Amino acid sequence: MKILIELIVSFLSTVGFGLVTNVPRRSLLPAGITGSLAWVAYYLVLQVDNGLILPNFTAAIVIGILGNISAMLFRVPVNIIYVPSLVSLVPGGILYLGMRSFTLGNEMRTGQYMFNALTIAIALAVGFVVAEVIFYRIKPILINALEKKSEN
Amino acid sequence: MDQSISEDELIAVCGKVGRILLTSGAETSRVEGTVEYIGRAAHYDITCHATITALFVGVNNQTRTHLVKVRLGDFNLEKVDEINTMSRKFVTGKIDFNELKKTINQIDKKVIDFTWPEKIFGAALVSVAPMLLFKATWSDLGLAFFVGIFGYLAAALSSPRIKTPYVSPGLGGFVVGFLAAFLQSMGIATNAGNIIVSALMPLVPGVAITNSFREIIDRNTISGVVRAVDALIIAGSIGAGVVIGASLSGIIFHLIGGAL
Repeated sequence: MKILIELIVSFLSTVGFGLVTNVPRRSLLPAGITGSLAWVAYYLVLQVDNGLILPNFTAAIVIGILGNISAMLFRVPVNIIYVPSLVSLVPGGILYLGMRSFTLGNEMRTGQYMFNALTIAIALAVGFVVAEVIFYRIKPILINALEKKSEN
Repeated sequence: MDQSISEDELIAVCGKVGRILLTSGAETSRVEGTVEYIGRAAHYDITCHATITALFVGVNNQTRTHLVKVRLGDFNLEKVDEINTMSRKFVTGKIDFNELKKTINQIDKKVIDFTWPEKIFGAALVSVAPMLLFKATWSDLGLAFFVGIFGYLAAALSSPRIKTPYVSPGLGGFVVGFLAAFLQSMGIATNAGNIIVSALMPLVPGVAITNSFREIIDRNTISGVVRAVDALIIAGSIGAGVVIGASLSGIIFHLIGGAL
């Protein structure tokens, strides 16, 4: 039940950010699905490993693979799927909290928040690289499957 | 066959393509890739070097180079998609060079956008952050839905009117901080901090900072660092805006409370 709520809210969040950043209409649905599945992956890993790196890394791999597949199917640049799907994972809120502590002169917490933001951003970026490596391995198989489907 | 395309024309069109892609939020490697792709399809050996602030297009073995100056822009991913479709059509030979030139000019001038109600609805949806589900109360998240609308509107409406950089995200933060603190002192909201973090989701540069690290890993160090610093200053401006807004709301509430 909890997972279902997480799924719906992250789907809406992704579609909402798609509207704000002007993605083409035909990519709203695949982006929404990618974003919500990535969030569920993040949520599930978070139950096992209460850290910052592993959940974000897993979610980035999910976005990377699903994003590349839907970019191929819907013929859009892959960044158009990445940007909205990332919105619920990215360290925007932490970055704001860090800069607010900075404004208030609280050095300890500034350092802590900034370090967390950096960790999350790097975990996501590395996750994308790994996902792309995996995707280029499975791409020929996918193309073969698609061609067979169109022949039938 | 395609030698009818003059070198100058090709470079001009390529420069325009690169500029539109960069200001609409495409990655640097994609910009370089697309421009070189178009050049190869037109039988010229085009080289393109893109950083986030400038774009160089030139033909190899020639002395001429075209320099385009670029300013950091907001995301407009639909333009990236249209340019991508056009360049793909040109490379596969579905449209000729003149048609490409015409459509690129059209895309450059056209304002491709969702309507305001759609964008406001989108910003409101983003303002309910999945990060805070089961951590903040449901009523707080519901309030963040509406506070987020006002924050987004303040930032989006002020950004074309205020020329000073980094002021409009700060204004958005100011509105969010003010409203959230006001709701808390009225006793409607339970935790202003949760509302602020949630309602700031459409404004904070989280996606920008993640993309900047992707560029750094992709060895586009200059673009990555420029994006990261830009994101950091935007976050700082939002943070300062929230602090000012929240304390102003506290002062006003105190004055009203004293008068009653």
